[in-house]
Amino acid sequence: MEISEESKEARDIIQNLIKSKKTIRMYPQNNPIYAKILEDSYTRFKSFFDYHESIVLSIKQNSILYDNEQIYYNPDKEDNLALFFFKDGLRELTFKKGLMREELEEFLKIIALDFDRDAIDDDVVTLLWEKDFQNIQYVVDEAFLADADEEDYSIKTEEKAKEKVTDVNDLMKAYEDGFVQEDVKGISIVPLTDNDLQMLVKELEKDSSEKIGKLTLILFEIIYQSEDKTDVEQAFTFLKDAINFSMKHGDMETAIEVMRKAKKILENPLMAENEKRYMMLLPSYLGTDEIISLLADILDSGIEIDTTIYDEFVAHLEKNAIEPLIKYLGELKTIRARKNVIEALISIGKKDIQALSRGLDDQRWYVVRNIIYILRRIGDRRAIDYLLKTVKHSDIRVRKEGIKALGDLGGKEGIQTLRECLDDTDMQIRVAAAKSFASIGSEAPKRILLDKIAEKSFKDKDFEEKKEFFEAISRWKDPEIFDFLVKILKTKSFFGRAKLYESKACALLCLGLLGNKDALPLLYKYQDSGNKLLRDFSLSAIKKLEYGN
Amino acid sequence: MGIKEEREIQKHGQDIINQFSVILRTAQIHDPANIAVMTAVERFLSLINQLTESGTSINLELVGEYFYIDETRIRYSMEYLLNFDFLIREFKRREIGKIVFMSNLQPKDIQIFLKAFIAAGFSDTPYETMSDITGESDNLEISRLQKILEGEQVDVRKVIKKVYFNAVSYTRGVMTKIQAGEKVNIKKAKRVVESMVDHILEEENLLIGMTAIKEYDEYTYHHSVNVSILSIALGQRLGLSKKVLTELGLVALFHDIGKIEIPSEVLNKSTNFTEDEWKVIRRHPIWGVKAILKIRGVDFTASRAAIVAFEHHMNYDLSGYPKVAKHSELDFFSRIVSLADQYDAMTSSRVYSRIPLSPDKALSIMMERAGSQLDPLLFKFFINMVGVFPIGTLVMLDTKELGLVYESNTVFADRPRVLIIIDRQGKRVSGPVVNLTEKDEQSRYYRSIIKTLDPNKYKINLAEYLL
Repeated sequence: MEISEESKEARDIIQNLIKSKKTIRMYPQNNPIYAKILEDSYTRFKSFFDYHESIVLSIKQNSILYDNEQIYYNPDKEDNLALFFFKDGLRELTFKKGLMREELEEFLKIIALDFDRDAIDDDVVTLLWEKDFQNIQYVVDEAFLADADEEDYSIKTEEKAKEKVTDVNDLMKAYEDGFVQEDVKGISIVPLTDNDLQMLVKELEKDSSEKIGKLTLILFEIIYQSEDKTDVEQAFTFLKDAINFSMKHGDMETAIEVMRKAKKILENPLMAENEKRYMMLLPSYLGTDEIISLLADILDSGIEIDTTIYDEFVAHLEKNAIEPLIKYLGELKTIRARKNVIEALISIGKKDIQALSRGLDDQRWYVVRNIIYILRRIGDRRAIDYLLKTVKHSDIRVRKEGIKALGDLGGKEGIQTLRECLDDTDMQIRVAAAKSFASIGSEAPKRILLDKIAEKSFKDKDFEEKKEFFEAISRWKDPEIFDFLVKILKTKSFFGRAKLYESKACALLCLGLLGNKDALPLLYKYQDSGNKLLRDFSLSAIKKLEYGN
Repeated sequence: MGIKEEREIQKHGQDIINQFSVILRTAQIHDPANIAVMTAVERFLSLINQLTESGTSINLELVGEYFYIDETRIRYSMEYLLNFDFLIREFKRREIGKIVFMSNLQPKDIQIFLKAFIAAGFSDTPYETMSDITGESDNLEISRLQKILEGEQVDVRKVIKKVYFNAVSYTRGVMTKIQAGEKVNIKKAKRVVESMVDHILEEENLLIGMTAIKEYDEYTYHHSVNVSILSIALGQRLGLSKKVLTELGLVALFHDIGKIEIPSEVLNKSTNFTEDEWKVIRRHPIWGVKAILKIRGVDFTASRAAIVAFEHHMNYDLSGYPKVAKHSELDFFSRIVSLADQYDAMTSSRVYSRIPLSPDKALSIMMERAGSQLDPLLFKFFINMVGVFPIGTLVMLDTKELGLVYESNTVFADRPRVLIIIDRQGKRVSGPVVNLTEKDEQSRYYRSIIKTLDPNKYKINLAEYLL
């Protein structure tokens, strides 16, 4: 059937709304496609309003009508715009001439929502109602608000309520009493003052504060007043929900408050074991993947984190938090967030070195490096066993961190591994191992380093590497090292003189670092050396010894 | 219209409504020639004339509970709350729907309006009086209030009844479902409450009137809806937004949900409760918290609902129950719901005290409790809302007629509309509804209330008359 030109325009508007619904759902607000479809939709409405005051659409189950003409029909259950409106009771939709772009956009955003998939607590009518549009009006059939089997509830109740007809004698008694009873004193209307209004404004301002905190107070009260196990069990579940909800909203304080109160119960000798048992479970809940993922979101959100609050939150975590923290450490986007998680792991990791060390098996090299760093910061020698394998990691950055950690932790177990590292094919590893030996600072590493430098092949090493090794042995400021260096300086050779000069330069450097002024006469000898390298290094060492820099 | 332009219109609109209200209020106290009135008039004129400089006119229109300036709805402003309310009431009272202010409005035009306004206040045909007198001005035009013009009153009552019973039916369904461990549809609850909010904004008196009828069998469901209606109505007086009113209404609807745990033999007991039974009853706030959180889990609305369920019997001074070791002051919503709850419970026959009170008696008792058990500030708003003669109050008139208060009058609290149930000849009748503001030619009121009686004492079924 042919429809009027006007209805065709209305049909175009509907088609465009359907298109917009899809586009708006797919694209972010700043996307040009989003902007274009909105503009397009708005333009269609505007041109319609050039000749009409409003567009009134009647909504049926499978069709939409304009001026009694069907302009949309869809018998399907899916993607049916008519049904989408109809099922929530919407029966008429009117767009008025003054329709603003912002209103249209908000309207489109509402209809673009995926009510089936998204956990939305409202239907389309509620959302339209809340927006309170000036130029979009609707008519709703409220009948469906009553259950189907309750449809005649109002009639029945009304009839029943009216059934009990007032007894005429009672009525007449009231009438008679009306003449004899006391005069009405009544109560009077209380005029509202400016002060009342000011107080009201203050109350309203106060009322905007959050409510979850208060709810948790009440939940603890329920625990205190519990009459059976179920009370405590349910309150415990709700407390967990409250923690979860507050964390979802970036609020760590509520979680902390819950933990503080739980602690009080644990410390209260009058509380029953059952209550305490549940309270003991709360810190574990705080460390679950669920909550730690929310913590990660907070840390990554860019919101300013109050360090006192964060530290207290971390202090409530138990060792079960280690695994999820490691997991999210690898997923966090910002350096600041990662630093926060690292600090948390340093704090909690102490409680379970083994669990923390499992992070060394992570597939992501940077996570492994972070875990090594954390273990190093914790400084627990039990970590050495786990760290040994890290020096063989495929990523050199991890290996270097592992070597450094072994150096910091010391211990016999690490020395053998580090010794092997001195022979590694990669210079960076060899240097790192030398430095780590210096960190350990005990007799064994000194010996190993001296032996290494004394090896024939050492002189052929890169000058930079040699320097690092000599700097490493300068950590032991003892006569043995002094003599060792002097011996190098006194070494003579006709072959490979350039390489020997490099070793001597390193020895000069090292003498400077040792801080023993007995070396000065020897150093003076080299300040006039024909070799520039020896000259420079001796001067530098002299300066160091004489002036301390 | 851009956002900036919209904001400007809102600002101007609020200023116009506020200033116009100031003029009318001042003129009710002082002579129109008084300096206070003149100053207010000057301020108003400078506002209006600045906006009509280009020769355009300005329309101030009342639609429902909202003012529109040139078809833009002016949002309720907290700052001007009282003046907005006042103007709405006065417009309705005089049946004014629209005033058109032409350009070049003069002080004499406002003086003419004031003359009309004051005269209409004492007229039986207020709109006609307004219209006659304002005809003297070339720069002012008024039109009649749409609703009165269309005579929709009868249908509105039907709609209100539907809204009320829908709410009760929903509440009944929810409680039954919870008891059966079934899922509850909260979307529907929101829709039910939104509908109540809409109708309270439009027809506060009628919906509050529904709460006055206590002859229903299922007390708990009706009570929940009544408390919700009374809370929304009070919230509206406090200037809460529609969205917040919905939250308040929803929270109030569920305030007694913990009662589903009370064994029916206790809840429906016809004799007085034993101490043990009281103990059970006093647990219902705690059960309420659990029931709400079980339905919804923890979110903002559920938290609020749980808080109110827990606190609604705690009293303003925390002297009620449950007794707690340490508690901060009651939530704002709890204080509202407490008022509504106490009022509805006291005026109902199936409460723990077993003594239903007449509305005015209940208010008197509540007045004594204001400051201790009840929030004194909110009580002020509450009493202004229900009026000194709330709907359902049985009144003896000086005309020897017996009647029931049918509709409160928010301006003249002691002059409500009354349904006559016994005429001056002492005969039982059912109507008419008379307006106690009506006066004779000597400006004497035709009727005045001389006594109030307790309708419960005489087993008067309010449903018979008010439904």
